[in-house]
Amino acid sequence: MYVVIVGCGRVGAQVATLLSDEGHNVVVVDKKPEAFHKLGASFNGLTIVGNGFELDVLRQSGIERADAFCSLTNGDNTNIMASQVAKKIFKVKRVIARVYDSARAHIYETLGLEVLSGTVLFASMIRDKLMDKRLSSFLIETGDLGVIELEVDEKMAGKVVSDITLPNEFLVCTIVKKSDQHGRDIIMPLPDTHIDKGDRIYGIVRIGSIDKVKKMFGADQA
Amino acid sequence: MYIIVAGAGKVGHFLAQRLLEDRHTVVVIEKNKDVCQKLAQTLNLIIVNGDACEPRFLEEAHIERADVIAAVTGEDEDNLVICQLAKEKFGIRRTVARANDPANEHTFNELGVDVPIDATKIIAKIIEEEVSFTDFVNLMSFKRGKLAIVRVDLNDDSPAVHKNLNELVLPPDSVLVSIIRKDEVVVPKGNTTLEPGDDIIALTLVENEQQLLRALIGDLK
Repeated sequence: MYVVIVGCGRVGAQVATLLSDEGHNVVVVDKKPEAFHKLGASFNGLTIVGNGFELDVLRQSGIERADAFCSLTNGDNTNIMASQVAKKIFKVKRVIARVYDSARAHIYETLGLEVLSGTVLFASMIRDKLMDKRLSSFLIETGDLGVIELEVDEKMAGKVVSDITLPNEFLVCTIVKKSDQHGRDIIMPLPDTHIDKGDRIYGIVRIGSIDKVKKMFGADQA
Repeated sequence: MYIIVAGAGKVGHFLAQRLLEDRHTVVVIEKNKDVCQKLAQTLNLIIVNGDACEPRFLEEAHIERADVIAAVTGEDEDNLVICQLAKEKFGIRRTVARANDPANEHTFNELGVDVPIDATKIIAKIIEEEVSFTDFVNLMSFKRGKLAIVRVDLNDDSPAVHKNLNELVLPPDSVLVSIIRKDEVVVPKGNTTLEPGDDIIALTLVENEQQLLRALIGDLK
């Protein structure tokens, strides 16, 4: 893929190096030439000094044939402007903007921009680590759903997946069997798959139903 | 009208002052506390000390009552975001943004700012007009650059000279608005005869501008 990255700070440089190492064609744009020192030694893409929302600079970066674009500077408004230029003027298919301010992130998301807010993501990761270390609420961007890990106790042993599915509240996605002697056995379950004591279940849960699901598994006392 | 001015630098300050003189209700939003204090000492208006790119400060300025917002900070990306928030989140119908860099005027247009104003270009135009010896000056463009008001100066060898206006073949969607003859303004009518030295003010679709010029002053050198 041909990827244009605006902003060569720590995040921008890391993304640029990752993608370059994977063999993608990467062009990085930054206002300051010294920013490019952060690029790893293995980086073999191009660097352009300039303002990331200026049309001439972007044309020079080859944006007209880019498959993807992301704006990762530390200025929310710069990222918002640059990514809209990429999306609406240059019609780049895949465009991502980094926006710190959660209020602005939310508004621009509803306006159809693909926004990643480090603040929001990081806050929910920390929340999960502190409160429910077996829940990841940040994997699913809407914030309504989370991924939860549960352990099967005696009470639940012997049931089948359809017994523990709560329509629109909890859906079992994967079962990691304990019984397997060769290490772990990972199953994509069917409604009639049995669960045994010691199995670990990964499921999608509606955030409002977490307590109900935990109670079902007897995990609410912990 | 209820007008919000975002940014109280030289432009914002002067604009707020002018709007107050015209008896509009003006609220200024400005990030810098010192600038706010200075403004409060000179003008009698409501000032919100905060970043207009954050929705909460727009709310504090009672944006729901505003008829217009003018974003005139020194940062173009901020001006764009202020206008977009006002329009998309708060439903403000008319948004005006200052483009500090002439290159951004077009971008503002494309991204939904109603009236992008490129001060640099306007000043350069005025200076150009004052110093130039050319027969043609583009005075102003609007409707996203589709329509322009131009000034065309006729001289002795212009093909339109000594002709009545109804003899002239003008391109479609071009109108002669007025003729400046010495210090008089002549309202053009069909039987008006053009004279050497006349300055013609015309409104035209930009795509027909060259045709209009050809009809009035012949081929451009």
